[in-house]
Amino acid sequence: MGILLFISVLLVAACGLVYELVAGTLASYLLGDSVLQFSTVIGTYLFAMGVGSALSRYLIRGLVYRFVCIELLLGVIGGFSSAALMLAFAYTEGFGLILYALVGVMGVLVGLEIPLLMRIVRGRYEFRDVIAHVLTFDYLGALGASLLFPILLVPRLGLVRSAMLFGLINAGVALWSTFLFAGQLSRARGLRVACLAVLCLLGAGMVNAKRITAAAEDNIYADEIIFSRDTKYQHIVLTRFKDDLRLFLNSHLQFSSRDEYRYHEALVHPGLAAIPAARRVLVLGGGDGLAVREILKYPGIQSVTLVDLDPEMTGIFSSNPMLVKLNGDSLRSPRVQVINADAFPWLDSNTDSFDFIVVDFPDPTSYSLGKLYTTAFYRAAARHLSARGLMVVQSTSPMFARDSFWCIVETLKQAGLHTSPYHVYVPAFGEWGFVLAGYRAYVPPAALPAGLRFLSVAGLSALFEFPPDMGPLPMPPNQLNTQVLVRTYENDWKDITH
Amino acid sequence: MRVGRRRFLGAGSAALVGLSLKSDRRIEGGFVNDSFPMGHLLRDGASFPAPRRTEKLPIVIVGGGIAGLSAAWRLHKRGFRDFVLLEMNAQAGGNARWGENEVSAYPWAAHYVPVPGPKAEYVRELFEDLGVLKNGQWEERALCFAPQERLFLYGRWQEGIEPAVGLTPKDREQFQRLEDLFGKFRASGEFTIPLERGKSAKFAQLDRISFADWLEQQGCTSRLVSWYMNYACRDDYGAMARDTSAWAGIHYFSSREAEEKGPLTWPEGNGWITRRLLERVGEHVRTGQMVHHVARTPRGASVFAGDTEYQAEFVIFAAPSFLAHYLLEDFPRLADFVYSPWLTANLTLERLPDSRGAEPAWDTVFLDSPTLGYVDATHQSLRTRIDRTVWTFYWALVEGSPAANRQLLLEKDWEYWKEAILHDLEHVHSDIRQCVSRIDVMRMGHAMIRPAVGSVFSEERRRLARRDGRILFANSDLSGISIFEEAQYHGVMAAQTALHEVGGRR
Repeated sequence: MGILLFISVLLVAACGLVYELVAGTLASYLLGDSVLQFSTVIGTYLFAMGVGSALSRYLIRGLVYRFVCIELLLGVIGGFSSAALMLAFAYTEGFGLILYALVGVMGVLVGLEIPLLMRIVRGRYEFRDVIAHVLTFDYLGALGASLLFPILLVPRLGLVRSAMLFGLINAGVALWSTFLFAGQLSRARGLRVACLAVLCLLGAGMVNAKRITAAAEDNIYADEIIFSRDTKYQHIVLTRFKDDLRLFLNSHLQFSSRDEYRYHEALVHPGLAAIPAARRVLVLGGGDGLAVREILKYPGIQSVTLVDLDPEMTGIFSSNPMLVKLNGDSLRSPRVQVINADAFPWLDSNTDSFDFIVVDFPDPTSYSLGKLYTTAFYRAAARHLSARGLMVVQSTSPMFARDSFWCIVETLKQAGLHTSPYHVYVPAFGEWGFVLAGYRAYVPPAALPAGLRFLSVAGLSALFEFPPDMGPLPMPPNQLNTQVLVRTYENDWKDITH
Repeated sequence: MRVGRRRFLGAGSAALVGLSLKSDRRIEGGFVNDSFPMGHLLRDGASFPAPRRTEKLPIVIVGGGIAGLSAAWRLHKRGFRDFVLLEMNAQAGGNARWGENEVSAYPWAAHYVPVPGPKAEYVRELFEDLGVLKNGQWEERALCFAPQERLFLYGRWQEGIEPAVGLTPKDREQFQRLEDLFGKFRASGEFTIPLERGKSAKFAQLDRISFADWLEQQGCTSRLVSWYMNYACRDDYGAMARDTSAWAGIHYFSSREAEEKGPLTWPEGNGWITRRLLERVGEHVRTGQMVHHVARTPRGASVFAGDTEYQAEFVIFAAPSFLAHYLLEDFPRLADFVYSPWLTANLTLERLPDSRGAEPAWDTVFLDSPTLGYVDATHQSLRTRIDRTVWTFYWALVEGSPAANRQLLLEKDWEYWKEAILHDLEHVHSDIRQCVSRIDVMRMGHAMIRPAVGSVFSEERRRLARRDGRILFANSDLSGISIFEEAQYHGVMAAQTALHEVGGRR
């Protein structure tokens, strides 16, 4: 009897601590500032326990009955506390209020437990033994819970199910108590039915925890995150909201599936359609396969070589059904060869010649990316260009980063190429700029592939018109030893965000 | 069993409470390229094998550093093939030697050449040969990429090494005054590279005082100004300003136009130039050939290396000139030739350490550190993503006498220098010990000539530079400052003299 009794003290203490940790952790996750959240949650919880202890003196008769009721209540409230808090954050404005109300109620109930238990068992032991044993197991339970929580519970079960598991333990202790203290209990049968009901309820909760979490997370993140991975090279996040897929690399938006056709049609067709004899195409960057999708619309293209740094990037765009649908399974086309390599050294090590080169890198946000926008890089790329070939360069926004755009144009000129800058409107990005470059002056195409959604032959010439607010600016070329573009780009965007 | 328990302890209980010891990476390495054992054989008068073979050659070059290789380059370029170059070490290059591992090639000492001015015509000619200068344009890939230099001071980074953060009005005023003074010296045309092309006795009195004294006379002694002036002297001369001739200190700042382009550099530093030179003249270069005696003969000089006697008409002595005392009979010990001891180390990093938010730069310097900081060998890489790299760490031992510091280099073990280097880096890169997998240390007792007070205009130096019969001195120590351009200049000049004489007498 003794040891069983004290094990229930241990379990009860563990439950109490887990609810407190769940509340503190959730508040930290959702509101941030974990020091503040943990401090206030623990403080409130301990204070409420004090209130509970104080209130215990007003409970005089039917102590076992009341103890079992408290355990059941705690099982339900504590067990569902995590789910309730997540849903409250996702769907209500009153997360804070609900948090502290829950913490307060749980604290009061936990505060009642130990005084009641001590009074229930006081007749069986010496007073000093009761105090010593009960408190010893109380603290042991707390230790066990605090170790299990971060090591096993959160990583294995998650917050929602961890709380429910301990709700089940609370209810289990309640049921067990009806047997343990059967002698001091008159209406045991009714209580046992209630215990079973609570156990079933929590069990059902455990089974459906995923659905609850999903419902809450769907609302917490505006867009559903369908893929998120830290690769060796970058942080890839793919989100979906209704029919809109969005790709973020290091939190920079790369495309939105609603309007990416504008970007990729504009990237590929003004150049490629102007080279009737084009056979071989090189794509640098562009691991999403969307530019390749446009390139494959030309039956004359015999081979497309895609060089992208990140194998995980080209991997998911070759395998994820949603993404494969978006890029028309372009990366697995027999005409396409995917090479995972760093573009600049690859250009130096390769001797192939191409009729069309697509240079589609992330914006020059760092010195390492800035190397891919230098005269040295464009010279290296131009060595791979056939005599009548063209190169198109993603050149950031001539509207928001006007200096940077014209700096890229100047850099291509200094690399000894004829340049034809143009721009399009992509809703997800705003005005976006590209530069066509080649050994000869560019002549716009007389025809485009069928089935384009954005470009038309008649509309082409407008792309090459720059209104005064995006017009040319005198800029120095970007070189490896100056990297003026990185500084220019930083200033351009600083001006926008201030 | 023990391993099992340790693993359990490590992974289990310790991790449970977050007390597992942060384990530092095991760091391999040791001393490399030691050349003092060979030098000490000469110093201590060891006996060497009697010659068993003789080779007759018009010209023999002693020493395969930049001076010797440049002499070879000039001879070869003029179509002259009848010569050998004897190098004591296993690898030619001297201060332009390099190393290479699976991560990167890296320099062992000199790691850049400033874009040469119009007076450094031989350097320009060399770079045209090597394709670095094409139609008046410098090859972009050989120019140091941005960002180039950074200084860590007051817990943050700044671009450039001249302190620009936390300057008092006094600092500013002194920096400005010095800049004006150096501008005037520059305009005088006396401070040129090569030295020979401008130097006259006009400012010879500046050679009689130390740079530190001169700065004091100008009232430019604020803390930051002193730090920067001393940094410059440590970096180029391996000496403090108080041990440097004022003429040389001024030369550092007045010999070059403010150059926006930045220096020419390569992953292996000036080792790149050595490699290109060896591609051209390598067939004449014999490494591992320590010259142990040079004797004047009626028709020239004989050079003894190993068991071979090279009977030459002319010897281009491109090794450090102080060695002549040990190699030539009746050659006095040179009094005005002081050499600075240095230590360099190459650190292999398995990942880039925390740099307090900054992107890597080429050259990193810490304010108030006794060392000179480090240069990143992968900075000139064209890759966008660098995971592993090699840092070349530079340390001129300037406190105390060169002799005492040479003793220190000999006495202290690798562990000592490893700890000293990591300790220095740790101030800024707190997790450096978790990143470094290898530290190779190179000790150089006579790393470079020091332009000590009175040495630039010394009579001894002037005498040596003049032709000594059939032995032509060519080391950069003839100039009194140890830079690529001076070494190359003296190498080329010696080669031209020898060619002229050899050709003229045939």
